[in-house]
Amino acid sequence: MTLITARPGPGAARPYRFPPVVRRTVAGGRVVAAHLPGQNLAVALLLLDAGAEREPVGKEGLGGVLAKALEEGTAQRDAAAYALAVEGLGTELVAGLDWDSFQVSVQVPVDRLNAAVELLAEAVRTPRLDPADVARVRDDEATALRMDWANPGPRADAALRADLFGAENRWGRPMYGDPDSVAGLDVEDVRVFHSEWFIRPGTLIVAGDLDRVDLDALAAAAFAGTGGGPVERGGPIQTPPRAERRIILVDRPGSVQSTLRLGHPSPHRAHPDHVPMTLAGTVLGGAFTSRLNHLIREVRGYTYGIRGDFASSRRFGRFAVSSGVQTAVTAPALVESVGEIARTQSGGVTEEELAVARSWRAGQLSVELQTPRAIASALTTLVVHDLPDDYHARLREALLAADVEQVSAAAAAHLHADSLTLVVEGDAAVIRDELAASGLGDIVDVAPGSRR
Amino acid sequence: MPDSGYPWPIETTRLDNGLRVVVSEDRTAPAVAVNLWYDVGSRHEPQGQTGFAHLFEHLMFEGSVNVAKTEHMKLIQGSGGSLNATTNPDRTNYFETVPAEHLELAFWLEADRMGGLVPALTQETLDNQRDVVKNERRQRYENVPYGDAWLRLLPLLYPPGHPYHHATIGSMADLNAADLATFQAFHRTYYAPNNAVLTVVGDASAAEVFALADKYFGGIPARADIPPAPDGRTVPATGRPAVETVTAEVPAPRVYVAHRTHPFGSAGYDVVTVLAAVLGSGRGSRLYQRLADGERIAQPDLVGAYGVDLAHAPAPLIATATARPGVGAERLAAGLHAVVDELATVPVTAAELDRAKALLSTAWWRQMSTVDGRADTLGRYATQFGDPAKAAERLPAWLAVTAEQIAEAAAEVLAADDRVTLTYLAEEKP
Repeated sequence: MTLITARPGPGAARPYRFPPVVRRTVAGGRVVAAHLPGQNLAVALLLLDAGAEREPVGKEGLGGVLAKALEEGTAQRDAAAYALAVEGLGTELVAGLDWDSFQVSVQVPVDRLNAAVELLAEAVRTPRLDPADVARVRDDEATALRMDWANPGPRADAALRADLFGAENRWGRPMYGDPDSVAGLDVEDVRVFHSEWFIRPGTLIVAGDLDRVDLDALAAAAFAGTGGGPVERGGPIQTPPRAERRIILVDRPGSVQSTLRLGHPSPHRAHPDHVPMTLAGTVLGGAFTSRLNHLIREVRGYTYGIRGDFASSRRFGRFAVSSGVQTAVTAPALVESVGEIARTQSGGVTEEELAVARSWRAGQLSVELQTPRAIASALTTLVVHDLPDDYHARLREALLAADVEQVSAAAAAHLHADSLTLVVEGDAAVIRDELAASGLGDIVDVAPGSRR
Repeated sequence: MPDSGYPWPIETTRLDNGLRVVVSEDRTAPAVAVNLWYDVGSRHEPQGQTGFAHLFEHLMFEGSVNVAKTEHMKLIQGSGGSLNATTNPDRTNYFETVPAEHLELAFWLEADRMGGLVPALTQETLDNQRDVVKNERRQRYENVPYGDAWLRLLPLLYPPGHPYHHATIGSMADLNAADLATFQAFHRTYYAPNNAVLTVVGDASAAEVFALADKYFGGIPARADIPPAPDGRTVPATGRPAVETVTAEVPAPRVYVAHRTHPFGSAGYDVVTVLAAVLGSGRGSRLYQRLADGERIAQPDLVGAYGVDLAHAPAPLIATATARPGVGAERLAAGLHAVVDELATVPVTAAELDRAKALLSTAWWRQMSTVDGRADTLGRYATQFGDPAKAAERLPAWLAVTAEQIAEAAAEVLAADDRVTLTYLAEEKP
């Protein structure tokens, strides 16, 4: 047996390039495109300022219902004919939202992009929104959410979010709403939300071989019949950390695992610490070799996996850790997870850990940004957060330049182990006493099915 | 109609120890995908050792003679790469995509665990990863509604002793009984260079890859007598439907209908692939149009049909639907059975066929749009069909399928008297 014993060093580094970005204004809307020469597939994505944050409190899930209702027929054809037209091009309409935006996209062989964008615009701008169809879609969405909420996770996520941001605020409630909020929507709410937010032109994102794409024609189709300008968006929301740590127990009788969600508020996306904070999160819970995964999975064998990260939107952010652990080790898994968060907050990161985190994050830019979908998503980031064309190249530099002092300072400033909300969704009868004895904090109960 | 589904160069070689090496150069992005297919999966597991191939996959990340425990992940992620591994009934594969300058690192790591795992394997590592896998079983199969459907469908589709009879995740009892010596023997038996295909796609030349492959893998000896898995190609029709009903904590009744069809890679399975798209892909599919939209008895997001691409025995076709509130399981099952039965009697229209082929074309090119997707595809075709270039034939074969062939296939493999039906009923609330 001859194996090479010495680990090889890297070869000559290849230069990093983000594809050339084209920006123009056509027919009252903005176009942002990336050129991917030779790529057979292309993606077009219409970005609208109609994210979950635009939904009124008490109307959570409007955007999700509207996303489905768009495909229930248009001014020109019924639902079956629309489905056949879209799928006959080999694509599907992908509609969804996050806190900051609503996105509708198609991915097709590049020679069919024009036809696909025409169909996309037909559904977005001129959906039929027949009241009976909208009511049925709403009921189906409520049922779909009930199905989803039967899984471990959504109830714990909702409990964490409500505790972090307050259920009186839209951002303190689930992004897609919950089964009850969706069931309670009126048909008219959906039609009003459409007329308010879906007739404004928005931004058309295109990723593909631009030599084979007519951007002006795509824009003309996407922006036809639109009107209205941009609407003011609020500034960052400051949410102070809690004075004390607490445990929220969500009962799931008979569960063989406990679902854990640990978190606290963190800065919004444009905060100057974004890069060092991301790296601190990576060392703590991002990479497979993170502190949390190493201890809780690889050393203790408590879980199949555990992750933690900072996530942020335009106005707010949160730090959160998520995992599923065997019921019998719920308390020790929590104690040790909180311990790792506290250790990272007080002691910072080491150069060895940071070296992995920074080159992983930087390298991921070349490894992950291959497909038209991934590039379209990167362009979306530029638009939503008002970033320059060379943002990804600069991000790479910033990641590689971050040092131990900066990242440790970000961990100290933005981790708050003593203010964590610890949500545990599991068999309360089995784990309650152990949680109470853990000394991690007072226990607050959430009854099954209740809305916080 | 494109005459090739793989318009990139492919070069292959075979090292003296039998390792097959496949290279497809593409300089578009500064990244390379490295993918190893080992021709061992859960179909090789004897009774009492279910779940061993997959547990072994976990052990491959825990260190080898020159690589410390957990160093594998650290080095790949520390180079900016992504990595993972998967096990299924047919095979086990290991893959990483790294910035191109780290290709040699990936080879060093893969060679070290191919040739030098056994001396580094300890009881402590086995015990820890056994716990991780048991947690994986809880998380993915036991703690979620309908999570055990696949575990229940396999024994209904394949008789005891058939290589696909048991699921890859294995049983808790077998996992508990796993001992170190068995795993040492498992590696010596199956993790040999002549039982693997190494594929590299991306920013590297064939000459460079072949030289590096020889340098890192060339010293690992071949193994002469790798035992084959039991032959599962012939599964006799039972002549009577298999029916199982489960009452569980689920939010709504759900029905699965499953049939054994043809092995992946055969002409018959190409027809089944197009048939499955006609039946259950997208809002224009028959299941959606009939059950979600027409009769409105199924939830729109949870209706569909798909083939499971297994190559060593007749592969399953699975159709599923979940009841809308107020709809009973029997009515749902009757609706699902009717739509499947009609594939043999109601001819597929040109529009239905075009729609299915357009969706399959996009799905194919999406798989081809990344270097890792291409590497996995080439590794599969080299391992299962002896030639990576055969990958180019799949898309044209789908596009050549006719409506008549779909009707014939439906009559042949979707007969009601050889059908598996698995039904979940919601527990009565106390």
